[in-house]
Amino acid sequence: MADAALDGGKKSDAFVISRAKLRRQRIAKFLGEGFLLAIASFVAIIVLFIFYFVAVDAIPFFQQRGFAEFFTSTSWYPADEPGEFGALAIIFGSAMVTIGSALIAVPLGISAAICLSDVLPFSVRQYAKPVIEMLAAIPSVAYGFFALVILAPLLQNHGGPILMWAWWLIAGPFVLLLVVVAGDLLASAVGGESESDVLRNVFTAVLGVVAVLFLYWVGKTLFAIQILTGTNALNVSLILSFMALPTIVSVSEDSLQAVGRELREGSYALGATRAETIVKTVLPAASSGIIAAVILGIMRALGETMVVWMASGNSSHIPDPWFNYLDSIRTLTATIAGDMGEADQVTGSARYHVLFAMGLLLLCFSFVGNFISERIVVRQRKILAGE
Amino acid sequence: MNIGTRKILDRSFTAVGLTSILLMALALLVVVVPIVSGGIGAIFFKGTIEHRKLQLREFDNGNREVLDRQIAESEPYRQEVFRMLDAFAAELETFEPTRKREYSSKVSSVKDIVSHLLGPVPGEPEPILLRFQYGTTRWEKAEESLHDLMFVTKWDTSNPEEMGKQYFVPRVDEFAGTSLAALFPYIEENLEKMLLPEQTFYWGFLTERSLDAHIFGGVWAEIQGTLFLAIGAMLFAFPMGVIAAIYFTEYARENVFTSILRSANSTLAGVPSIVFGLFGLAFFINTIKVSDSKSVLAGSLTLAIMILPTIIRAAEEAILSVPKTYKEASIGLGSTKWRTIVTVILPAALPGIITGGIISLGRAAGETAPIIFTAAVSVGATIGLGDVLTSPTPALSWNIYNLASEHEAANEIRHVQYGMVLALISIVLLLNLSAILLRARISKKLKG
Amino acid sequence: MQMTAEAKSSNQSASKSGASREIFLPPERDRVKDGGKPHLSAKNFSIFYGDFEAVKKIEADILSKYVTAIIGPSGCGKSTFLRAINRMNDLIPSCYTSGSLMFDGEDVYGKYTDEVQLRRKIGMVFQKPNPFPKSIFDNIAYGPRLQGVKEKKVLDEIVEKSLRKAALWDEVKDRLDKNALGLSGGQQQRLCVARTLAVEPEILLLDEPTSALDPKSTAKIEDLIEELRGSYTIAIVTHNMQQASRVSDYTMFFYEGDLVEYAPTKQLFTNPRDQVTEDYITGRFS
Repeated sequence: MADAALDGGKKSDAFVISRAKLRRQRIAKFLGEGFLLAIASFVAIIVLFIFYFVAVDAIPFFQQRGFAEFFTSTSWYPADEPGEFGALAIIFGSAMVTIGSALIAVPLGISAAICLSDVLPFSVRQYAKPVIEMLAAIPSVAYGFFALVILAPLLQNHGGPILMWAWWLIAGPFVLLLVVVAGDLLASAVGGESESDVLRNVFTAVLGVVAVLFLYWVGKTLFAIQILTGTNALNVSLILSFMALPTIVSVSEDSLQAVGRELREGSYALGATRAETIVKTVLPAASSGIIAAVILGIMRALGETMVVWMASGNSSHIPDPWFNYLDSIRTLTATIAGDMGEADQVTGSARYHVLFAMGLLLLCFSFVGNFISERIVVRQRKILAGE
Repeated sequence: MNIGTRKILDRSFTAVGLTSILLMALALLVVVVPIVSGGIGAIFFKGTIEHRKLQLREFDNGNREVLDRQIAESEPYRQEVFRMLDAFAAELETFEPTRKREYSSKVSSVKDIVSHLLGPVPGEPEPILLRFQYGTTRWEKAEESLHDLMFVTKWDTSNPEEMGKQYFVPRVDEFAGTSLAALFPYIEENLEKMLLPEQTFYWGFLTERSLDAHIFGGVWAEIQGTLFLAIGAMLFAFPMGVIAAIYFTEYARENVFTSILRSANSTLAGVPSIVFGLFGLAFFINTIKVSDSKSVLAGSLTLAIMILPTIIRAAEEAILSVPKTYKEASIGLGSTKWRTIVTVILPAALPGIITGGIISLGRAAGETAPIIFTAAVSVGATIGLGDVLTSPTPALSWNIYNLASEHEAANEIRHVQYGMVLALISIVLLLNLSAILLRARISKKLKG
Repeated sequence: MQMTAEAKSSNQSASKSGASREIFLPPERDRVKDGGKPHLSAKNFSIFYGDFEAVKKIEADILSKYVTAIIGPSGCGKSTFLRAINRMNDLIPSCYTSGSLMFDGEDVYGKYTDEVQLRRKIGMVFQKPNPFPKSIFDNIAYGPRLQGVKEKKVLDEIVEKSLRKAALWDEVKDRLDKNALGLSGGQQQRLCVARTLAVEPEILLLDEPTSALDPKSTAKIEDLIEELRGSYTIAIVTHNMQQASRVSDYTMFFYEGDLVEYAPTKQLFTNPRDQVTEDYITGRFS
């Protein structure tokens, strides 16, 4: 064999190949890579197409009706002749449930993520992660069904007691904790270096009584509330927050894990407690990932259709007062889903195009949110690299 | 700060974390438990003789002899009810006109409930709608109707400050002194003998077609539609996603173009699902006209572009997790790059890629918004495989919405809705569970 | 296993468990003021990871204000032992200890011991420099702030003092507000030392502090240890035997979880009593 190769042997064995074969190989490689690239670029093309086709159907609306009515009026009567297309209340409704769900999901999600990454032992974490994935996998229409058929009647019939218990359970421990800390801080502010125990106990006791009275008063007020309709912004915010949670938890947990043991050990070795280590070292170092997680979670809530369509009440007005979460609202996504059925029959009308205008608005929001979260991550990476 | 306070803060911090996890678990239970128990109720319930009649006549399920015997058994009790109604009708003729008008409206609501319970009253014209041809098929519904029969619902609106309060008045009081007064205790006592409830395991809920817009029957058309749509979406998205992932992991150079492609991927992942629906309508149906109107094809294509980013990401991750040494070994043995990818990297990454695919399949099955304008119809028969290019289909996700929010008898068929939700959740969660198990096996294998 | 620190001089007899734990001080010229008391004493002290006994029944005193080097092949338990001293191993769920480890007469693993307060008194510097992604100033002020120091003036003082002790002040005094991750590896490690000194610990644990550094930075860290000797009790884990002989007064040699030999550094390196020690320091295995 070796002799044959030395003698010149068969051409196909040689590692120096003919020019024609080389060219064939190059062409094959070029074509192959081109094919792969074409498929990979497909995603980018789709994104462009989505923007283009949504915009193309949205622009006629703005040409016909201008921008002012859409963004400033709250009269939404698309079926009238001539129709009125004021989407302010609808945009407001979208903002309202998005903010409402963020208020619930962000603190809950971040503390759950911290708990998963730093508190629970690894064995528990192994089971918690799949559960969170399951949560994320439950289809939105199932959540919507729950909101409409189970949660809405509950809220409508037992709203006051539910609100009161939620207040007691959630605010109670936090307020009492606040009392302990505030008592301590006051004592050291007044007593200076000496930090007497008596002083601290007195302060804590006084504050504690005030806090309990406050808790009781708010609880009583909540108890008296009558919820007129269970399909309201609170219901939707609750469910949306629940849907945004898995995203927030898993993305922030990943970024908390990425902070690494070294930093945690450095902090512990300086005499920090676990809470101090997490709040002062780990969270700042993971902040970019957490912000990205929050943005992604909020985007999910904003873009969600089925839950809001089924359980928001779909009434296009700004609640009175504007922060009244117990009132029905209507969102962009639900409007698109609900009105297209009729508007589709009259392709080309303002009624049809206004829904694309809303879609374009949503698309822009999601694009900006995505862009910002990407920027933040990139910038933080640079900071961590010591720029 | 005092060390004691620092410790309290530390503990509370831990407590807050644990509480939030518990809250999430609790919320999951609160959502899943009623859905599961309600959904099981669609399949496993106390069925009345009407259910068995319907099954035998419409689907040819069940034992005719047993049923005939049971019909014969229940008939005397039913006859007694109809006899009382007839007797009262005769009595009504003797009343003076105002009293007659008053009582005939009262008795007609009694008749409505009775026919709702037991099926059409003999002698009246045969109803056209199937839902009126049979009595109540489920015992718990029969009990509800019995309550409606026994009591008249009234509203107390005396206090304008508050919402009206519901209260009940026994219906028998309305007929005090007439012959019909005896009907109410009779039905209350003998309803079970008229309907003969039995524990029923109605497997057909999953495999049979629906009758009269889901008033009776099963949800097979929806299940099949969901499967068509999800699998159709996978047929488009899976190969493309894997090929794109191969490009990103093995061929892409780190330059501006590649980073634009990557951003496009995450942008696509963030697009709200309803916008996909708009795009599907504007592009697939109105512009390139893959079908004249809604169709499974258009819906699958729309779902495909929605799940594409997920598949690409999962496949990328799976390919990247293949140890570099495999590749080096293969290249070192004189294999070409493409051969290495096909024969070494892809097989090693395959379980991971499939995991991502399964999860995406679940997502495609569960989504509603993208198919509203492109594929879903509210009421429809099962479609054949040959019709997928042109026909729309019912689908679980869409029909859950439709039955719960837009059906004229939404309150009457809650059990069907629960059953559909359970079917959908089961499909999605089973897919996810298998993906999770598959992944656990992969990581075990990697650890050795 | 009973170990004896053996040396010529013996003006100290504050031993805790009789003759076998006698304490010997280095020659007169190397002695430090007020040093040589048993600062940490391990009695029958074992560390387990689950069922695995990583460190086996240690009997030893670490003497105050001297530098003790801990050497041994990798996996011998030297780092585990060091991390057990300030209870860093608490972070590993399966890790537990038996026997006792006394610090200033108090049990480190006692029921009423607060590991947070303990870690403040026993500072630690790690293998890989781990500055927080904050400014240099905030890195040093981290510990004092935890203790409740808020006044800028006091913090300024502490920061300057600590950085001077760590021989870093001149290099960074003009950029205290810059991100610490912008420093070189050696500077980062000295920053970590300074950060530890800022909480005024009594004992300084160094876990292979130079293994990630270049020779020049290593020399600076070694100079720093020489500077700190006499002010702090220092225990340093190192895989570098030259380093151990350069910087330490005493040396512990660990092998497979056993403390094989513990002696004044010079003696251990010139006249090891144990065959395994000799094999190790002469490079027959590593």
